Amino acid sequence: MAKPAVRLGVVQVAFGLAIVAVVARAAQVQLVEGAAYRARAREQRTERVVLPARRGAIYDRSGVPLALTRDVYHVGVAPRELRDRARDATTIARALGLSRRAVDRALRRPYAYFRGPYTASRVEPLREVRGVHLTHQLERFYPSGDFARSLIGWPEDEGRPASGLERTLDTLLAGRAGSAVVLRDGQGRRYESPARLGALPIPGHDVYLTLDAALQDIVERALAEAIERYDAAGGDVVVLAPHTGEVLAVASRRADGSVPPTAFTSVFEPGSTAKIFAAAALLEANLVTERDSVYAERGVWVQPYRTIRDDHPAEWLTLRGAIQVSSNIGIVKFADRLDPARQYLMLRAFGFGAPTGIEFPAESRGSLERPDRWSGVSAASLAMGYEVAVTPLQLAAGYAAIAHDGVLLRPTLVRETRAADGAVRHRHRPEPVRRVVRPGVARELRAMLRAVVFEGGTGSTAALSAYELAGKTGTARRATGRGYSPGAYTATFASLFPADQPQLVMVVKLDDPRGAYARLTAAPVTRSVIEQALAARTTALDARRLGTEAAPARRATVGTGSVPHVVAWPPPSAPPPAAERRVPDVTGLSLRAAAAALHQSGFQVRVRGWGLVAAMAPAPGTSAAAGTVVTLVAAAPGGR
Amino acid sequence: MRPRGRVWVIGWLLFFLAILAWVVARQTASVVAATELGDLREARAQLEARQAELLTRIRAGKSRRVLIPRAEGLGLRLPADSEIIILQVPGGEKR
Repeated sequence: MAKPAVRLGVVQVAFGLAIVAVVARAAQVQLVEGAAYRARAREQRTERVVLPARRGAIYDRSGVPLALTRDVYHVGVAPRELRDRARDATTIARALGLSRRAVDRALRRPYAYFRGPYTASRVEPLREVRGVHLTHQLERFYPSGDFARSLIGWPEDEGRPASGLERTLDTLLAGRAGSAVVLRDGQGRRYESPARLGALPIPGHDVYLTLDAALQDIVERALAEAIERYDAAGGDVVVLAPHTGEVLAVASRRADGSVPPTAFTSVFEPGSTAKIFAAAALLEANLVTERDSVYAERGVWVQPYRTIRDDHPAEWLTLRGAIQVSSNIGIVKFADRLDPARQYLMLRAFGFGAPTGIEFPAESRGSLERPDRWSGVSAASLAMGYEVAVTPLQLAAGYAAIAHDGVLLRPTLVRETRAADGAVRHRHRPEPVRRVVRPGVARELRAMLRAVVFEGGTGSTAALSAYELAGKTGTARRATGRGYSPGAYTATFASLFPADQPQLVMVVKLDDPRGAYARLTAAPVTRSVIEQALAARTTALDARRLGTEAAPARRATVGTGSVPHVVAWPPPSAPPPAAERRVPDVTGLSLRAAAAALHQSGFQVRVRGWGLVAAMAPAPGTSAAAGTVVTLVAAAPGGR
Repeated sequence: MRPRGRVWVIGWLLFFLAILAWVVARQTASVVAATELGDLREARAQLEARQAELLTRIRAGKSRRVLIPRAEGLGLRLPADSEIIILQVPGGEKR
């Protein structure tokens, strides 16, 4: 047995070693593995969360909200935490709009989950109920329902791919997500920690579209009614502002009620609406004079490979006459003066066969073959609007170039983008693509389009009483996989309103309508849309540039070459001119009352100044024909 | 010496208590502010939800789908273009 001193020494050494071991282990834990343990502890206590950015809103050109982002909630209920199960179940059922039985059934589970999502106002009564847990989420919301839905589209969501403008503008709208660290307790509950905010989310930009909500509403409804009235398979309407390239309204619809964005993605042969582009090529190359005429074969022209027919048989036609009565024979004979390269380049210059560059995904480029791939009849077909496929938007952009003195503009759907703080980041300016024709040629083309809407033209059914419209009808056979379907047509009317200084360019296209001819289908729809636009509060039309005077006397020479074809105006079928009547005295009345009184008496009104009527011309008591413009000079009460 | 030492201790104690009170006050204020912020967020979310609901109703009420059948029911019709008088309000004039 060892001596006590030795035993004591051993015990001391053992204790010493134990202490060294503890210190060494502590050093290892603190110094060597400390960082790893700290990280592990942080992971258990904290959690990094993504703070979603609020997606930017989409508005129309006047600030009408079309797409917004709102807070919504999913509702979770822990039944064991409820204070008064029966009363709380009633509160939950009432707030969420569920039946009491459904809520009771859900509360039998350990944790009830109501996915919703529910708006903040709906879940408000549940905030004070113990045991109810709300999960916040941001949701895209469209206050206007189906309004322009195919155009606006949807953002990407739970496997559903993004579409429409929500897709194209996603990088602008999405914003940048932020991040934060929240504290977590042993049971996994989260606690906000303001001191641990990583990065604030940056909201997305707000986008103001070029669409005009009032006009869009008119166009959507007019198209739906036209499809129903004419039993059409579908249709499209595009309205452009020709001097800016802004798309003011666009609607597409099928007979089954679906609204695919076919105005941008689907092509058709424009038929006679493309004759104006052949005329443009002829005029630009100085290949036709005002007096040149061709023999229109009295409506039937037998060719080696086909027979060309006209719906309005004629003999001699000038180029303007050929456009006015939409003569296939006339335009083919005129277009024979064009070499294929010139004809092709003019169609390309108007933008056919290439995407317009509008901010919409999957825009179709249409089709236009190069001259080296043309057959022997291609030049004639192209002059009549066949063998070229265009989208309604491309056709509208081409007509807008005519309205804009020959300059093609890139159409756009985005008018402005603003950051969340309201700062303007982008404002649309007209983007000229190219000059297509000289201003003088564009003016002559507009005169031709005016003639179409005169009495005797194919578009006279679109004519308005007080304003002049210019346009062109097109009734084209519809192609299927095996050639053209007998009896199936696409009816199109492309128009400029008003004819003088066009503010709107509109293309109305109906697929296979009953009644077939564009003059009986698409043209009246155009007139209806314009009448509704005039009566509506829309910013798309600048009233200051619209005179209230009746359309100027329509110069009648609209047709023929060697034997001038004169259209009498007013036409013989028109009612006789109204008898003269006495101009009522409206001095001293408000403008509204004065206008109403004069209107009831059959006069039109022009206003100068503001306030009460101080003077008027013609003078009160004199006689004037119905429809005469009475000028009212108004002044503020007490003013000069 | 002893009273002076006690004074030091009391002084340090008071200083410590003051710091403690300051920290507690700050934390209390931040908790109150956080609660108010949360309440305001909720209130804003509710107002936005209400606004969205009202916007939806206004848009639906203003749509031609709703208005035109009602107008036609009242015997109204769409005016022809010749029946529309556009009053050209002078622009840019100040009273």
